[in-house]
Amino acid sequence: MRIEEHPILSFKKGEKIKFSFDGEEYEGFEGDTIASALHAAGVKVLGHSHNHNRPRGFYCAIGNCSSCLMTVDGEPNVRTCTEKLKSGMVVETQKGKGVLK
Amino acid sequence: MKMTEIAIVGGGPAGLSAAVSAAASGARVTLIERDDHLGGQLKKQTHMFFGSKKQYASTRGVDIADILQEQLAKYKDRVEIMTDATVIGIYEDGILTIEQNNKYIKMQPQRIVVATGASEKFLTFPNNDMPGIYGAGAVQTLMNVYGVKPGNNVLMVGAGNIGLIVSYQLMQAGVTVKAIIDAAPRIGGYLVHASKIRRMGIPILTSHTVKYAHGKDSLEKVTICKLDEKFQPIPGTEQDIEADVMCISVGLSPLAELLWQIGCKMTFVPELGGHVPLRNGEMETSLKGIYIAGDVAGIEEASSAMVEGRLAGLCAAKGLGYEAENYEDLRKDCLEQLNSLRSGPVGEKILKGLSKVTA
Amino acid sequence: MLQNTGIPTKEDIAGVTPSLERRSKGPVAVIECYQKIPCNPCYTSCKFGAIKEFKDINDRPEVDFDKCTGCGQCVVNCPGLSIFIIDESYSDKEALVKIPYEFLPLPGEGSFVTALNREGEPVCRAKVVKIQNAKYQDRTPVVSLTVPKEYSMEVRFFNIEDYFSDNTYVCRCEELTMGELRDLIRMGYRSVDEIKRISRAGMGPCQGRTCRQLIMQELAKATNQDMKDMPMTTFRPPVKTIKLGALLGGDKDE
Ligand SMILES: Cc1cc2nc3c(=O)[nH]c(=O)nc-3n(C[C@H](O)[C@H](O)[C@H](O)COP(=O)(O)OP(=O)(O)OC[C@H]3O[C@@H](n4cnc5c(N)ncnc54)[C@H](O)[C@@H]3O)c2cc1C
Ligand code: SF4
Ligand code: SF4
Ligand code: FES
Repeated sequence: MRIEEHPILSFKKGEKIKFSFDGEEYEGFEGDTIASALHAAGVKVLGHSHNHNRPRGFYCAIGNCSSCLMTVDGEPNVRTCTEKLKSGMVVETQKGKGVLK
Repeated sequence: MKMTEIAIVGGGPAGLSAAVSAAASGARVTLIERDDHLGGQLKKQTHMFFGSKKQYASTRGVDIADILQEQLAKYKDRVEIMTDATVIGIYEDGILTIEQNNKYIKMQPQRIVVATGASEKFLTFPNNDMPGIYGAGAVQTLMNVYGVKPGNNVLMVGAGNIGLIVSYQLMQAGVTVKAIIDAAPRIGGYLVHASKIRRMGIPILTSHTVKYAHGKDSLEKVTICKLDEKFQPIPGTEQDIEADVMCISVGLSPLAELLWQIGCKMTFVPELGGHVPLRNGEMETSLKGIYIAGDVAGIEEASSAMVEGRLAGLCAAKGLGYEAENYEDLRKDCLEQLNSLRSGPVGEKILKGLSKVTA
Repeated sequence: MLQNTGIPTKEDIAGVTPSLERRSKGPVAVIECYQKIPCNPCYTSCKFGAIKEFKDINDRPEVDFDKCTGCGQCVVNCPGLSIFIIDESYSDKEALVKIPYEFLPLPGEGSFVTALNREGEPVCRAKVVKIQNAKYQDRTPVVSLTVPKEYSMEVRFFNIEDYFSDNTYVCRCEELTMGELRDLIRMGYRSVDEIKRISRAGMGPCQGRTCRQLIMQELAKATNQDMKDMPMTTFRPPVKTIKLGALLGGDKDE
């Protein structure tokens, strides 16, 4: 789901980055946020709401709404829409409010 | 504690312009932006802007952001730029707290210009929280900053300028826009934008709204229906649109939390998008030394945001004793530009709103 | 209406159309900007003074067609992409329409595309004769299409797919392709009715609604006639398919 050519913009793709999402290996590029890398890989459901267990994706993509919280490297409640992707990151969906390990 | 003369919160067109004019007047400026780059909304705009030469009309938004940054670079010695830095509080004694890379920084400026822009409004319908339903800003960020398509088939909700422009940008990114719907009986955005999308075969359905969003884990289909003059759904007019993305662009409201915190006098003005601070002709709020510019002062356009920023920077600097050489001319020029931008039918609403907030 | 749909009305368009005489003289700008908005680059970019002075930035552009050279400078400066250049002096039968086009891929020069009207509906086949994409245009390429003259004020966009190529279907009911139609015309069939009889096109369940126009266009092109001079096909009732039983049953009162 990457834009390969664009009439106005040119995207400089950074280095390939490997990370894991719920145990499986995924790829993104340097400059991606966690959410943009997941979305490019077709992952829209980033978590589930804590009361009704409804699927959640991102909504604002600028760190305002907290719809995109996930557990990253063991730390819960990370706003994945603004958190930059790093090599080797362990990203997990988070059910409910998340527990601090 | 960090010290500066003028702290500018937000690095969009308003904040950048304020920084340029304050620094040009001779003041020391710190520009604080929560994103990792400057430019605000401009960064995501691939289309040419309206206005006149003075507001860089015919130049693409993303390029205007670069122009403003080049202007600012001229005053390197006086300007400090902090990116990835979010102002999380302003206190009554005028102290700012900033979070940057998990570190907390306190700053004491002598003047503050708040140019935080706006946040998006939301819409209520069953299943509106489903993945695949995104704010227009999010779609733009994903597509024009990260180069990722939001999906394959989009239903755009909202036929204001943002809905129209984001639809066009989606098509440029190679995504299909199924339709643009709006509850209002008339298209709210500029009709030239509407026509350029319509001639690509994208229907613009006014007096239509979302009735229901369908999908298992993420959006698959949307039921829309027609509305009567009283905005009530007309039974039997439902139709289904297959879409994996619904993009919501039903308006913006000023992002004024910081102004509330510090205690600026605020008032609710629907014409300006919601609660906005009272201000005088120099863009100063009810609190001395606190200035505003851009969408946080009232939802308008980048063209006026830049001029307001110029004005606020100019006046904030003067308040500190840095009077630009041709201060009076510059100030008048700003006011004239604002008047002319707001003089037509599109500006009527803004002027009406502004008449309620000028102290 | 424009305000509800984004599609200008006939009256809107009439108000900005240059006279037939002016159009036949050579390239001229048609500015389809119908609303007062704070915007003036069309006026400030015209080097020939062909756009009347904006007293107020919200003024609507008004072209002095006699001063306009059709240079196209305003086309690439208009943020609304609402300016087109038309040139009806291009050839005997064809007009040139220049359209700003900010999409990829660009069509190739010499290729055929499907010309669309202001609603995005196919109008005719158009040839791409030129693509201007100079640096000063700042990523707003201008595509020049040739279209039959009578469509110069109708064609305002295009689809890069060539709907009207030899292997597209003219008549989906009877599965007649454009190529087959062109062959028939070459063989000497010269009216819609003749073609209908030989190919059955237009006799399927849609009753010629999708194909009639297309066949006429193709005939007009091949026989060098104007669409308006083409003889219409004969129309026979019923105008929509009905069950034979409905006819047999007759009127209840009979
Ligand atoms: C799709 C779209 C199309 C548009 N098209 C046009 C057009 O053609 N012509 C036109 O004139 N206008 C257009 N606009 C409007 C224009 O972009 C805005 O009016 C303009 O950007 C407002 O400028 P601003 O500086 O006030 O806000 P913004 O551009 O939103 O900038 C605000 C900045 O503040 C930062 N910020 C917010 N809170 C904090 C904080 N607490 N700490 C630190 N930083 C913070 C934000 O990250 C942001 O960078 C368009 C807008 C959109 C969304
Ligand atoms: S085509 Fe050239 S001469 Fe005509 S109005 Fe536009 S800029 Fe002026
Ligand atoms: S530049 Fe384009 S959108 Fe602006 S006033 Fe002229 S014709 Fe209208
Ligand atoms: S999507 Fe809103 S905070 Fe991440």
